[in-house]
Amino acid sequence: MRDRLVRRLLPAGVLLLVAVAWLVPEVPALDLDTAETGAVDAWEATLDGLPSTPLVLVAFDPDVGTYAEIRPTVRAALAELLARDARLAFFSLTPEGRALALAEMDRLREGQANPRRWADLGFAPGAEAAIVELSRSVPVADDVGGEIARRFGDGGADAIDALVVIGGNEIGPRSWVEQLLPRVEATPALAVAPTVLLPELLPYAESGQLDALLATPGDGAAYRSSVSVGRLDRFLDASPPRALPVLVGLVLALGVVGVALVRSVSADRGNGGSGAQRAREAEA
Amino acid sequence: MSGLGGTGGWDVVATWVAAAATIVVLGGMFGERRLFGWSQHLLAGLATGFLALVVISEVIVPRVVEPLAADPTGRPELWAGLLLVGLAAGAPWLPRPVASIPIGITIGALAAFAFGGAIIGTLLPQLVATTAVREPTATETVVAAVAALVTVLVVLSFLHGTPRDRIGRGAHRLGRWLLVAGLGGWFGYLVLSRLVLLVDRVGFLLGDWLGIGR
Repeated sequence: MRDRLVRRLLPAGVLLLVAVAWLVPEVPALDLDTAETGAVDAWEATLDGLPSTPLVLVAFDPDVGTYAEIRPTVRAALAELLARDARLAFFSLTPEGRALALAEMDRLREGQANPRRWADLGFAPGAEAAIVELSRSVPVADDVGGEIARRFGDGGADAIDALVVIGGNEIGPRSWVEQLLPRVEATPALAVAPTVLLPELLPYAESGQLDALLATPGDGAAYRSSVSVGRLDRFLDASPPRALPVLVGLVLALGVVGVALVRSVSADRGNGGSGAQRAREAEA
Repeated sequence: MSGLGGTGGWDVVATWVAAAATIVVLGGMFGERRLFGWSQHLLAGLATGFLALVVISEVIVPRVVEPLAADPTGRPELWAGLLLVGLAAGAPWLPRPVASIPIGITIGALAAFAFGGAIIGTLLPQLVATTAVREPTATETVVAAVAALVTVLVVLSFLHGTPRDRIGRGAHRLGRWLLVAGLGGWFGYLVLSRLVLLVDRVGFLLGDWLGIGR
């Protein structure tokens, strides 16, 4: 009975603590943007190396489960690219990514971003096969006109000056690195991805296959605090994630794991030793 | 909802609907299963409807119907594709060798792209990066060597059966523990991602909906 009550009340306690932590003003000691800025330097150096008015393919396939983590960084990156006079072409391979891409393009439209500087290449099914197809012929719809359509029409995938992948759990930077980069001439690749993809993507960043990778809350915060977007600051996210509630949540999660561990050890002792020990005894 | 500070009628309605949906989903943690189940059905329905809309408006009509209507004999590969779709749809009533053709082509193509990409885009470049490149500092050389050692030990842990010799057994066991440690680290990253999502939702309820703390 008591256990049941605790189980019911525990989530309320967690929510309450996170809410209180969210209301507490930012603590300077917990500022995430003091993190190492190597990833940010690599990002800026890559963008600095692009030609003027670069044509950037924005592969937009985040998932709703992790988009909250990268959304402020994605919005800052889009604003920076527009501020650098880039031409953005949005392309999605997953329906989830397409829905989020539509929302972000709607946001650009509401914010009155110059419509000649970005275009919607739409959705293509087939995951990795669609990337291979794109490397041969970029699908530009009839209603896409102007400079972006002309440049893709003239040069196809070779017209892409840089690839920016907004990654998620289903299709992420790995697929683009594997399928597009070996097929197009030396295109710089940048990626924004949630922390959960870091173990998968770090080798690509270390080996230079990805020129820049922003994949942790620290990298994202450092990037957002350093990026300069001029008059396009209206496109920045008004509510980036706060550090204190995340820290409180992490401490609570560690507490839950600790309690589970203690209970497991206690239960094993009560049953006469650990499972592995009993298995060894049985084997002997 | 777009974060551009819209305060129009539809923005307010959208904020209230989103707040209600968030509260219903969070209510699942307190044992409120009926509304939580309803919200899951709503999500599944919306996702399916959106998927159908995207596929019809961005794939089937512009890439199949319109080209075939414009030039019925000029795109034979589209007719072949339609035939495969027909075979897949009629699979329950067709002989197995015929019904397996579209599935075989789909799986074969997916595997070929994934396998080829993994070798050309991951395996070979990563092998070059870890073995054939001289690191700039001694520390980085040690780190690269340790990374290579960890990789070898984890690969050894996948060997079928337990090695009989003492060194092989030790390496096998160490590789298993390194694998478990790696999975633990990955789980930690996953928890962090989900926590940020929870904090984002709490921030939405308090800031965007109730207007507290903004």
